[in-house]
This record gives sequence, structure tokens and C-alpha cells, in this order.
Amino acid sequence: MSESTDHNGLSADELLAAEYVLGVLAGGERDVAARRAAREQNFARMVADWEQRLAPWSREFAEVQPPADMWRRIADALPATPVRRPGLWQSLAFWRGLSLATGALAAGCIGALIYLGTVQPPALMIAAIDGGGHHHFVATLDTRSGTIAVVPAAFTADASRVPELWLIPADGKPRPLGLLRADRTVTLAIPPTLLAQATGKAVLAVSLEPQGGSPTGQPTGPVIGSGKITLL
Amino acid sequence: MDLDTNRSLVAAALARIPGGDRAALQTVYRLTSAKLFGVALRILGERSEAEDVLQEVFVTIWRKAGDFDGSRASPMTWLIAIARNRAIDRLRASKTSRRMDSIDDAVEIPDGAPRADDALATSEDNARLYGCLDGLALEENAALRGAFFDGNTYEDLAQRHRVPLATMKSRIRRAMMKLKLCLEADQPAKQPQ
Repeated sequence: MSESTDHNGLSADELLAAEYVLGVLAGGERDVAARRAAREQNFARMVADWEQRLAPWSREFAEVQPPADMWRRIADALPATPVRRPGLWQSLAFWRGLSLATGALAAGCIGALIYLGTVQPPALMIAAIDGGGHHHFVATLDTRSGTIAVVPAAFTADASRVPELWLIPADGKPRPLGLLRADRTVTLAIPPTLLAQATGKAVLAVSLEPQGGSPTGQPTGPVIGSGKITLL
Repeated sequence: MDLDTNRSLVAAALARIPGGDRAALQTVYRLTSAKLFGVALRILGERSEAEDVLQEVFVTIWRKAGDFDGSRASPMTWLIAIARNRAIDRLRASKTSRRMDSIDDAVEIPDGAPRADDALATSEDNARLYGCLDGLALEENAALRGAFFDGNTYEDLAQRHRVPLATMKSRIRRAMMKLKLCLEADQPAKQPQ
């Protein structure tokens, strides 16, 4: 990042940190800043410094009691245990390891559970979306709930364009599934009409599109990666 | 409850969360949820949206409490940053101009009266920030407040204040630079809070 100081002493990074904390950024610029704050120590420190500088202002936010059932709603939404090492679930090595090493084990366990009659048939499928030598995203499909969770791996955000996910079934025609994020997992609903086509014969692909997604319903920007769907 | 007591209670509870202690998260909730809900409600202006954000905030705290470094930041500052960021993300995602329409009906904020239970910053820090803000031009102050409290983007602010986007950008950048210089001038050997 350049160290240009056209605002009397603030480097470009420091300015971005200030704008991010103040909250004036939108779209790709905000995404880039959030992602850098999560991954780059120096930038994260600049962000924390600005949060600290503006902290006294937060006294002006009036306290408002949330509804009485709010804690119950939160408790119900919590995963069983916090992820101890932040980033584990976003680590591609973890997902690859999971898909390779535990696939057979998981299949065996699920098989046993089905045999015991305790769960529905398995519905989890996985796809690593690779391109240009990079693993950009890892997607997990749950066909039972009709959702797909997409974890960013080596994907680098672009300030002007956003990543859009496509399902390409056996007929070869891309169907839009939704926009992805570089800084966090995105869970998308798969339209019921498409669900039956999300099989081992389908491919997931990611293209770069204008803010808000492809205006045409078909990929308009470069396809940066794709991957086959396989049963977990 | 005084500032230091509340602060250390929140920090101690945060430290127990990475081990999977739900009661610790509930303690954080009890001590901070009214404040964090107020943050989300102020930015989003709508209760149901603010409730969804509050839920996301506490799930985030549950997952990320291990990232909190008490030697570098105050717990309330860290928590409020999460709440503001989630609320702003939600506001951006809704992609409506609702805020611009309702800006005048937005939840009224009280006058910044100091509160004993606001474990945010020392009174010296408060005085310093407000002193430096007073040194900014009125239109700079208004633009910074619109961003911080209402989640306005550069574009929102340019529209609201009827100036070109480039003018608003340089106004805010200049104001942030002046703010930093002023805050640092006042405190040559500042320790992190």
C-alpha cells in the first residue's frame, strides 16, 4: 500500500482505517477494509487506534433495553462451543483435510446413524472453488435445508467488483446463487427449482461482477474459479 | 457501578468465553446488551432490525472473544465496535434510502451526559475528544456525527449537506486528520486504554 500522504500526514492505510471506523465507506471499499482489519496486524492496529480515539463518543448512544426474550433467542442461536482458534473454520487446509480424511469416517458414522434410524439420509456436499492456482472459496451444500455456506479462502477482494456464485448443472447453463464476501462466510438459499440439479454432476463457479451482482442474470465478468460438487 | 468495576467484570467474563462458558456470555449480555442494543437501534432506526443485529453481535462475541486483547483495548470499545460494524453492514445490505428519509425522526440521543456505568473511557479522554471536536468547523463536526451515529456513507452525507461527493470526502478526511493531530498533541505519551 502506498504511503502517500496527501492529507497532511495520514498515510493511505491510516486514512482507510479512519474511514472504516467512522463508517463512511460502502460496498467494496468497506469490504476491503473489513477484510484487512481481520487479517493484517498493522492495519488492525490502526483500526483499533481509531476506535479508541472515537470511543468517548459512544457515550452518546442511549441505552435501550432489548426485549425480554432476547437472551433466549441468542442462546438458541449459539453454536455448541466457540471456535477456540479463530480462523479454523475458514482454513482451507481444515476443509480439505475434513473432506479427504474424514469423508469415509463421516459416511460410516452417518451410515450407522441411518441404520439406527436416528437421522435422515446425508445431504452434505462440498466444493472447493479453485482457479489460477488459488483456492478461492470452499462451499458446503446442505440439500436438506436447501442452503449453501461459502467460506472465503485465498480470495482477494477487488474494490470495484464483487464475487458472485453460480451453479452450473449438467446442462452447462449458469444459474445465479448470490453474492459472496471476501471477509466472512456467506450462507445462501438455493432456489427449490435448482436444488435437484445441485448434484455430483454440477459445478460451482465464481465470477467478478459489478456492485449488486450481474445485471443480466448471466456471468458478465471474468470467472475466477470453479469446482465440482462432491459428496462429503 | 463504577467504571473500573464494570470494565473488569466485562473483561473477566470475556476471558472465560473461549472455554465455552455460556454463563460468561450471559454475564457480558447482562452488563452490555442495553448499550449494544442502543447502538444498533440508533444506526438502524428499527427495532426488529436492531434485534437481529444484537443476536449477530452476541454470536460474534461468542466466536471471537478469544481475539479480545485486554491489554490493548477497553472491552466496551471492542464490543461497541462489533455492534456498530454489524449494524452498518446491515444498513448497507438493506440498500434502501430509508435512512435518508427518516433521518429527522431518528431516535433522539441524549445530550452526552456522563454515565457512571459507561465503561468506555476516562473523563480525561472524554474531555479531550470533545475539546478537539469543538475545534473543528461546524460542517466538519456535522459530517463526522452523521457518519458515526447514523451510519451515513460519503454519498449520503454529500446529499444531505448538498455538496459534491469530492467535497464531502476531503471535508471528512481533513477533519479526521485534524482530530488525530489534536488528540495526539494533547497527550504525547499516551498509553493504550
